[in-house]
Amino acid sequence: MEIHQNNPRHAKPCIHAKDLVLGYTVGKQISPIASGISFELFHGELTCLMGPNGVGKSTLLKAIMSQNLPINGEIWFGDTSASQMSDLVRAQNIAVVLTEKIRSGLMTVRELVALGRTPHTGLWGHLSVADNAYVNQVLELTHLSAIAEKKLSQLSDGQRQTAMIARALAQDSNIMVLDEPTAHLDLTNRFEIMYLLKKLAKEAGKAILVVTHDLEVAMETADQLWIMANKEPLVSGSPEDLMLEGHLQKLLPGEKWEIDSRNGKIRLKTPSNLPEISGPEHLIYWVRNALRKNIEIPMPDKIEVSENPFEISVYSGQNHFTFSRTSEMIRFLKNKTA
Amino acid sequence: MSHRLKFTCALILVLVLWLLNISLGSISIPIGALLERIAGVPFPRESWEIIVVDYRIPKSITAILAGIALSVSGLQMQTFFRNPLAGPFVLGISSGAGLGVALLAMAGTAFGWQLFAGTTSYWSVILASSAGAIGVLVLMGLAAWKVKDSMTLLIVGLMFGSAASAIVTLLSFFSAAEELKMFTLWSMGNLGNTGWSELGLLSGAILIGVTMVIFSVKSYNAMLLGEAYAKSMGINFQKLRWIMIVSTGILTGGITAFCGPIAFIGIAVPHLARLLFKTNDHRVLFPATAILGILVLLACDTLSQLPGYASSLPINAVTTAFGAPLIIWLIMKRNFSEAF
Repeated sequence: MEIHQNNPRHAKPCIHAKDLVLGYTVGKQISPIASGISFELFHGELTCLMGPNGVGKSTLLKAIMSQNLPINGEIWFGDTSASQMSDLVRAQNIAVVLTEKIRSGLMTVRELVALGRTPHTGLWGHLSVADNAYVNQVLELTHLSAIAEKKLSQLSDGQRQTAMIARALAQDSNIMVLDEPTAHLDLTNRFEIMYLLKKLAKEAGKAILVVTHDLEVAMETADQLWIMANKEPLVSGSPEDLMLEGHLQKLLPGEKWEIDSRNGKIRLKTPSNLPEISGPEHLIYWVRNALRKNIEIPMPDKIEVSENPFEISVYSGQNHFTFSRTSEMIRFLKNKTA
Repeated sequence: MSHRLKFTCALILVLVLWLLNISLGSISIPIGALLERIAGVPFPRESWEIIVVDYRIPKSITAILAGIALSVSGLQMQTFFRNPLAGPFVLGISSGAGLGVALLAMAGTAFGWQLFAGTTSYWSVILASSAGAIGVLVLMGLAAWKVKDSMTLLIVGLMFGSAASAIVTLLSFFSAAEELKMFTLWSMGNLGNTGWSELGLLSGAILIGVTMVIFSVKSYNAMLLGEAYAKSMGINFQKLRWIMIVSTGILTGGITAFCGPIAFIGIAVPHLARLLFKTNDHRVLFPATAILGILVLLACDTLSQLPGYASSLPINAVTTAFGAPLIIWLIMKRNFSEAF
């Protein structure tokens, strides 16, 4: 593979499309869902596709997987158009991880990963020496070797998802598409999975497209973000650029929410009636956070926070109170109204 | 136990049961005499030769063929539809066959015509049952052409089945007692009607059906992850669907035509195979279900013809009465839904 690791943008995109119209055709009724979809997906990069529910992310994935062809426009794999690709060639080019839960509890991790070799094996699905070696390599890379003989029914959710990714990896495609691989996982597993994907993009040179709702993890790991918002063309760019250019705000319809431009976190818009808080910056943040969640209570005039020992001083008219925990402060302010 | 050991044990059991099956019946023939006959020593009584060669061996071979056909197509259905309750009859094949036979047996009174002048020969039953099964299959084929979703196909199949049963009920309501009994007997299943000449045809059909399944083992393994994953791994789903419909039609339709609708085996045996062989790999599961299907049906047939009774019990009653408790026990013992 000719990838310029340091500057992959000099390489050609492995999938690209221009001005797609996506949607469904039922009988003669055409119902478009998204239009103006143009994108390029590159080798060696982790790309996160984000957008509110119902905006057409899954439809885009289905179009890329050729399970639901675009109403208008064409998706290109290099120089080959998607509609002219045979099922087998497509399977050798794209591997997927879907949201649907699989049953087959008697299957071992190794058997699951070996199923990924399906597009490469013969009539009976028999694994050659090379196939077996590849499966072992994948198990190693995803740190699943130790549990390779375990049955799927014995795995935790995180292990199961890693095994599904390993199966996709064993398919040896240059593109991997994953639909919400971190949903239902705990915080560490979410990061673990995304860093695994990032590693696969860098080390195996794969083009990886991940649909996710997890902005925090995406900001941390993605090379590229694709943002789909209602009735707007797809916007792509590095997470940092999109943040600075204000595109990320499109993920939050309405006026109620905003993205904190310092850390990319979603929060309620800071209301104007918060009191002035002084003290060390990292402490102010959490005291403000506690107040913001309880915006309905009457606010004091001024708050001072000090470190070592931690203390919150609340000034309200002539009165002055001190607290050692934010919860005590909130409870006190609430009681004052009642 | 390794798979190879399990298969060897099962094979030995099949041989033992086969001998028992031929030996037991209204007239008991000692196993020793059977073994001597195989070695070339003629039976002490000439009647034994007729009983064994013309009646018991064809019957046991029918049981073996039916065991293979029904359990293999049951496994096919369960994997294709990813549904543990699916069985060989979910596409409405038995109901279609039933409708055919019911029309043959009972329509005379209902519509006031005489189809076969009173006597219903064995071959006319086979023809009627095949025609019914093929009719339902053609309808299912048309449905499969129209709908893309496999769950919809499953429901359409069940609906065809219900519709056919409803017509059968109406026919039964208007028919005479004699005809009703003939139909009821058919619906209880009978392995003993097939002679050597019919066996040739039946085994040919089963061979074709099984061959189609063998060549799609890889696709069925991919189907373990569901339709979308199978497609993403390059499996030609539409082709697999037609293989599924045609091979089940041949396997189940063939057995139903010659033996009537034999219940229970098709749904239960694939679960038994998963529990005993502890795998989802179809390269093991298909032979395992086939051999377990043989075992279960041979055992049931042996039970149905225990010595001392002039006639044998209906095979359907035996498969369900003796098989169901066994399966329930196995399912309760191990976690069956996890295995699926």
